[in-house]
Amino acid sequence: MGADPMAAVSGDQPVGVAIVDDHPVVVEGVRAWLATEPRLTVLATGDDPDEVLRSAPDAAVVLLDLRLHGRMALDKLAELSAAGRRVVVYSEHTDPQTMLAALDAGAVAFLAKHEGREHCVETVLAAASDRPYVPPALAGAMVGDPRPDRPMLSDKEREALLLWFQSMSKASVARRMQISEHTVKQYVDRARIKYTRAGRPAATKAALLARAIEDGLVRPEEIGIYRSQATHDRPTP
Amino acid sequence: MSADLNAPAHLTDAPEAPIWAGVPTPREPVSPEALAAPAAVAHASDRGARIAAVVIALAWHVAIALPAVLAARAEFAAPAVVLGAWILVAVTGAVAGVRLLLGSPLPPWPLAVLLLVVDAAVFAAAGDRQLFTAANWVWGTLGWFFVLAVWGQRVVGLIALLSTHALIALVAVLGHGADPADVARYVMYVYGTFSLPVAVFVGSAVIVGLARERAGVSAAGHAMAAERDAAERGRQERRDRLTLVSSAAGRVLGDLAAGQADPGDPEVQRRCMLAAARLRRLIAESDDVPDPLLHELRAAADLAERSGLPIDLVTIGTPPPLPVEIRRRLADPLTGTLADARGWARLTVVSGPDEVVVSLVTPDREGPEATGPPPGERDDGPVQYLYERDGNIRWAQTRWRR
Repeated sequence: MGADPMAAVSGDQPVGVAIVDDHPVVVEGVRAWLATEPRLTVLATGDDPDEVLRSAPDAAVVLLDLRLHGRMALDKLAELSAAGRRVVVYSEHTDPQTMLAALDAGAVAFLAKHEGREHCVETVLAAASDRPYVPPALAGAMVGDPRPDRPMLSDKEREALLLWFQSMSKASVARRMQISEHTVKQYVDRARIKYTRAGRPAATKAALLARAIEDGLVRPEEIGIYRSQATHDRPTP
Repeated sequence: MSADLNAPAHLTDAPEAPIWAGVPTPREPVSPEALAAPAAVAHASDRGARIAAVVIALAWHVAIALPAVLAARAEFAAPAVVLGAWILVAVTGAVAGVRLLLGSPLPPWPLAVLLLVVDAAVFAAAGDRQLFTAANWVWGTLGWFFVLAVWGQRVVGLIALLSTHALIALVAVLGHGADPADVARYVMYVYGTFSLPVAVFVGSAVIVGLARERAGVSAAGHAMAAERDAAERGRQERRDRLTLVSSAAGRVLGDLAAGQADPGDPEVQRRCMLAAARLRRLIAESDDVPDPLLHELRAAADLAERSGLPIDLVTIGTPPPLPVEIRRRLADPLTGTLADARGWARLTVVSGPDEVVVSLVTPDREGPEATGPPPGERDDGPVQYLYERDGNIRWAQTRWRR
């Protein structure tokens, strides 16, 4: 593969997307969703991640159905993420464990299949620029994360995640918390960024973190306070 | 043979009934009750045997040994020793018996050594003429006190004590110048003192073991039956829902395939949405944790759905066991709002060990609430209730914090 999947997405070119799903009808549906957005273009589709990426090495974002041919493709997800592929997992398996496992494996985002067009487009656009996007179902999984080594979220971050999960409307969350919509999004995104240190390291996580620091969303020292055994974490750029 | 009679005290006390006792708790492979029941039965059975042993020992000591000792006190070689030893054993035996019944027996081996010293002293002090009479009370009584001393230990301990007792007696018999008749009498006495205490000791151990086993088998049987019932009920409920869903989804799909329904028709789209919501919930509900709060919310969601409202019920985490009053305060305000909902509804439950938050969101529309409580915020004990309308959504939330 000569292409650099981590190359920054330029503002003019549409974002290339590869769709990996073993149900043709779903592929067609997602293609139709993305077709309504001029900033996105579908480069390749298929049911085998390797084949799809061979035919579209420049794809900036991979939309991956987590369940391929009857088995969970978590290993494949980890492999792609480690290689720097921005993978957006979308699945009908929306139990919190599966979603958190996908984040741990390096997925840039997790989208429940029923969350619809708007979230799908938003997620892919955010992923292409290494920015976090947390659809409501993922917010629910994060707020209910029962693992003892889960990232330590602030009260505001937790509340924003919870209300976003409940209402699916950032405007309503903003009104409820008496803050601006922009601040709601910041709380939610900061919570997501804290998850870049959970699970094994991946190039995608480093990229998310780097962009978050660049955007002023978090300071480097804010990440990592919740995890003392940082031995297997690679240094962040 | 091992006769472990020590029913562990912490298992024998029946666990205090939790305040949510009326609520079916989530199923576990073996409930604590199922483990405690056999132990409790074994404990009850063992207690009966303890009472019997204490009564036999003390009754024998007082009713049979004492009159004989008093009647023959002039004929002992050292009457004070025999009588003093009797009193010592009576007091020690009473204390040991009470402690045994209270479940905190005296340390067995110091007690056993004391009894053996008394044994030797009385044999020495009884004298020739009283050696084989009832007045030499250690023959008849001491074996029962040995039983009390080593209750709950292995039976070999008791046999060792009785053997030492037999050895002391043999030394005494030979030392007093035994003739063949004395030796024959000695064998008879030893047999008598051995057989009954050992029989009671072993017998009670076996009965306790059997009781424990039988209670365990019966408890396991009950647990299995309850589990089977719950599984059967869950399966039936799921099958009912599947039937409901298949008929709904099947009909609209059939209509679409046959060209009788127009995908552009809002009514058809609504039917599709409803069928999809039902299917999604059926998939989500495959976890058969019979949590009462979720059960109540599902029932309310089912009701709303049957009247044609597409509803999403998403649960995160498992609620901790909650008293019925708290569950009611969490669920009731929302079910009222749900009955009033039009268009769609999103019901979410986020649970942690110290917090449960239930939320209902539906599209807002003109007009006052028909059934739900008015907008506002209030604290209802440990449950906080929040309801607001912002022109976009109606949002009701109940939140319990420990």
